[in-house]
Order: sequence, then C-alpha cells, then structure tokens
Amino acid sequence: MTTTTNSAAGNSGLARAVPRLSVLATILESARQTLVMLRYRRILWVAPIGLLLLFALAFVLAGTARSRSDGAHLYSVFAWWGLATVVMPWATLFLGVQAVHGELEDRTSQYLFLRPVHRVPLFLGKWLAIAAVSSALACCSAAALYVAVASREDLWPDGREPWLLVSFCIVLGLGATAYSAVAVFLAATFRRPLAWAAFFVVGLQMLAANLPVSAGLRQLTITDPLRRMTLDLIEPSRRLARALWPAERNEALSIENGTGAFLLEFGSPLCSLLILVVVCLTLGCWQYARTEYESRNRD
Amino acid sequence: MSDTPPIVLEFDSVTKWYGSVAALLDVSFQVCTEVVGLVGKNGVGKSTLMKLAVGLLNPSQGAVRVCGSDATTREARARIGFCPDFDRLYEPLSGVKFVAWMLRYHGVAARAATMRAEEVLTELGLAEDMYRPIREYSKGMRQRVRLGQALAHRPQFVLLDEPMTGLDPVARAELADLIRGLPQRGVGVLVSSHVLHELEAVVDRVVLVHQGRLLADGKVEALRDQLPERPHRLRLKGARLRELASQLTNWPEVDGVSFLSDGLEVSLSGHGAFYERFSDLAGDWQGGIHELIPLDDDLAAVFGYLVE
Repeated sequence: MTTTTNSAAGNSGLARAVPRLSVLATILESARQTLVMLRYRRILWVAPIGLLLLFALAFVLAGTARSRSDGAHLYSVFAWWGLATVVMPWATLFLGVQAVHGELEDRTSQYLFLRPVHRVPLFLGKWLAIAAVSSALACCSAAALYVAVASREDLWPDGREPWLLVSFCIVLGLGATAYSAVAVFLAATFRRPLAWAAFFVVGLQMLAANLPVSAGLRQLTITDPLRRMTLDLIEPSRRLARALWPAERNEALSIENGTGAFLLEFGSPLCSLLILVVVCLTLGCWQYARTEYESRNRD
Repeated sequence: MSDTPPIVLEFDSVTKWYGSVAALLDVSFQVCTEVVGLVGKNGVGKSTLMKLAVGLLNPSQGAVRVCGSDATTREARARIGFCPDFDRLYEPLSGVKFVAWMLRYHGVAARAATMRAEEVLTELGLAEDMYRPIREYSKGMRQRVRLGQALAHRPQFVLLDEPMTGLDPVARAELADLIRGLPQRGVGVLVSSHVLHELEAVVDRVVLVHQGRLLADGKVEALRDQLPERPHRLRLKGARLRELASQLTNWPEVDGVSFLSDGLEVSLSGHGAFYERFSDLAGDWQGGIHELIPLDDDLAAVFGYLVE
C-alpha cells in the first residue's frame, strides 16, 4: 500500500456536483452486470449439455413414435409439456432467484445499495437480464427440439412446419419473461424463494392451470394464458388440442382456437400475462427499494 | 470567512427502535474533516449507528445528515464511501472489475472507471493481483478491494468498519498512514475497530457508544481527564526504589505507591502537577529513573473505565 500519492480519496469541495446515471443507463448497467455474473454460474454451462440431451431424447422419441403421430403433433406435445410447463419455468425461476436472492443473502447487495442510484432500476435491470437469458435459452431449446423432430422426414408427410417453431418461440419467450418477473419478486420478498417457486410451479402452474375453463383460479397462472396463446398460434387439430389441454377435451378447440389471444384487451391471455408481470415487478420493486431492506426482515 | 471545517456527518438527536428495543437513544455528534474512532462493545448499537450513517437505516427520531443531505438520499450516497466488515465480494470478478462496476453507478464512464479502479488498487498495494479473480485473494487482498470500492469515487465521508482486519503489520501501518492522510484531502473518516491501540494511533478523537447511548465524545486525553474518580496509574523503574517511594508518598498529588517485582506502581490524583514535579526530581535522582509508563491513559483503559 503506497500512500505517497494524493488520489486514493479526496474531494474538491463539498459543493461538488453529484454525477448522475440516468434511469435507463442504470437499468442497462444492472442488466449487463447481471448477465456477466450469470456467465460465471454453472447452470449456464450446463445449458449446452441440456440442449444436447434434449435433442437426443427428442430424436429417439420421434424415432419410436407410432405411425399415426405426425411431426407437428409430436413436436407440439414435447414443446408444450416438456419445455413450456417444466424446463422453462424451473430454469427461469432458478436463474431469477439466484440473481437477486444470492446478493441479498451474502449482503453483496449492500455495495449496490450504497451507490447514488435508485434501487428500482437496479431491480428492473436484473429482471431484464434474466428475462433475456431465459427467453434465449427457451428459444434454443425449442429449436433443438424442432431440429430433432424435423430430422425424421417420415413424420412430416405434408412437409415440415417451421411456423410451429416460431409459435413456440413466441410463447416460450413471453412465458420466460413472465416467469422471470415472478422469480425476481419471490427472490426480493421471501427468504426461501426456491420453496415458494416450487409451490408456484407445482401448485399453480401444474395443477391449477390444468383445471377446466370454468375454474377461475387458472386465470391467475402463467400456463393458462400461454396455452391459449399456443392454441391460437398453432391452430391445432382437435386431437392435438386435446393433447395440449386434457382438462377441456372437446371444448378446447371451439373455445380457444382463433379467439385473438394476442389482443391487448382486458381478459385476453396477453393482457393476463402483462398484468401478472406488472404486479410482480411492482411488488418486487416496492420490497427492493425500501430503505431498511435486509434479508433478516424478510418472510 | 469562517475556518470551521465542514461537517461531513451529523447525528442530530438520533434514536433508533427495533420494535420495542432501542438500539440507539438520542445520539448526537458530528464528524468534520478529521478521523473519528467509533468504539463500543459488540451489541451496543455500533452497527446500527454505522448503517444509519450510510443510509441503510432510517432513524426513528432525529436526523442523520451527510454533507448536509439526508443520509438516505442519492446526494448523500454519492459522497459516502463505506468499507464493510463482512467478507463477501463478487467472487468471480477481478478486483479491478469489481471496483470499476461500482464506479459505473457513480456516473463514471466504463473506460474511466477501469482506469480509476486500477489507480486506486495500485495505490492500495494490489497492483500485481488486481486482474486475478477475487476468489483467489487472501484476506488482506480482499480487504484492500473493499477499501478500494469505498475510496474510488473520491467520497467526502468514509466509514471504515474494522479496516485493519486481515492485514499484515506492514499493511496495517500503511493503511494507518492512508487514513491519517485523508483529512488533509478534505475527507472525514469514521473508523470502527476493536483493536483499540491501533485505533488510537489514527484517530483525532473518539465517539464511545454504550448500551445505545453516546457515552463519550472527545480526545482520549480529555476523556481520561474527565474521570477524576479513577486515579492515574504509572509504572516507575529506576534506582533506589525504596527511597523514591518514601519521597513520593509525601507528595499531595500521589494517592499511593506500591512495589512491583521490578519497580513501583504509583496512583495519582493530579497527574499534571505530578509530572511537573517529577521532572525536577528525575533530573537529580542519583542512579537515574529508567522508565515511566502511564498504565491507564490509553484508549483501552478509558474505554474500560467508561463502560464499567
């Protein structure tokens, strides 16, 4: 430690102007730093291996498919029941919880809280980073799955349907964005966010979302609007619609197909997702931005 | 124009409650461009005081101001540098990247932030290792990174919580020099440490907290003089100890003399007068006085007396 120079600290008068980082710049910087930190996490290194396994599994399953199963049916079932309801929610929630909760628990968040920026853009930056990474991972997974199934030429008698891949990328991207909002909210609010995330996925997404249309509870989930969007986009056969929404069986097609799931009007799936994202981010920001915010005060 | 140094930290009748438990009660003190030591046992409200000072807590009553701004505002945070005592950092990052990341939130451009981070870490003695991941750092190196992020944005008020932890003796001495030099650059410092003799060597005055209250605020010597019920004690070594003891017992400012294995322990009621008189005596004393050591006018003794 040399103390001969005069620059380790020092000021030029108390009236010195305070440099400001704009809200947008803070969000982007927080997102950038979150992405860099994610780069060091093992889960992202596991992702390519997971994609390879997914590809291999889909390839083998497609090879053993019964003759009456066509490629579109197989791909949609894999993408929906494998990616949209299991892999994407869990991966997103895990990444989101890690990004926010880890810093709070080991108190490194204090270094951020002492900076002259508001905490809300810090929080939003983390959400943005998780949403971007999760969406990218989900789209890569959907692509790997599609390539695996599409490689079986015999399953596509009427030609391959790349629109299916695009549809699922849209749905998975929106889902990842919504799940990442839930993840950062849980991480900012609870001391054991992964336990709450497990309850959220198993209790709400896997059980409640599969209730019949008449059950209002399903509208509080992410899975339900995602499924309605999927049905709207892929325009499935009656058989595929039943496979994607077993609880509704015969009604699935007639109720959901072509009902404008992407309209931005109250009650539409897109609007439901938006409301959920806004509510989660608002509550998360409110928690995160409290002055006396410490892990010991949570729960 | 007044020569009064600017106040960088001000506690104005601050009380902090956690539910029904009072962590701090009516605490008032100021820190100017000087080094102030924060002393107190564990659990007496020191951590609460530090969190209030850096705006991580709101006072229940009263006000905490940094350079005139409420401590929880962005204006205040821009002027605060905080070196916490916990050991966690962004482990995968290099020291320079960590400090640069923190600087970015002060509105410093990426390239300038990196250059400033390199500069401050070089000055803190981390020039050779600043590009290695923090997880490979020793305790002392990690402490330097924590110091670096506290100083890099050129704050006007620095709060150092146990800054000597993990440093080797050479680094401790260098850090002490650095801390002592900060007021000359217009920086006020509040430093907390349990190593009282090291703290005493760097501070201009101390703030002593006990059971949530401000027990004392001032220079160590002044605080010691405010304890008349505690006689000063000295250890004397020299020739002809019996004769010396018999002489000293006749002095009005000497309360008592007792024999140690290799010297005398003298209790004083008025140490100022004693030193004046004793300097005359020591000059003429046949065989010489070899050693005169005050036993209880250091920070540790004052702290002990005050909290008893």
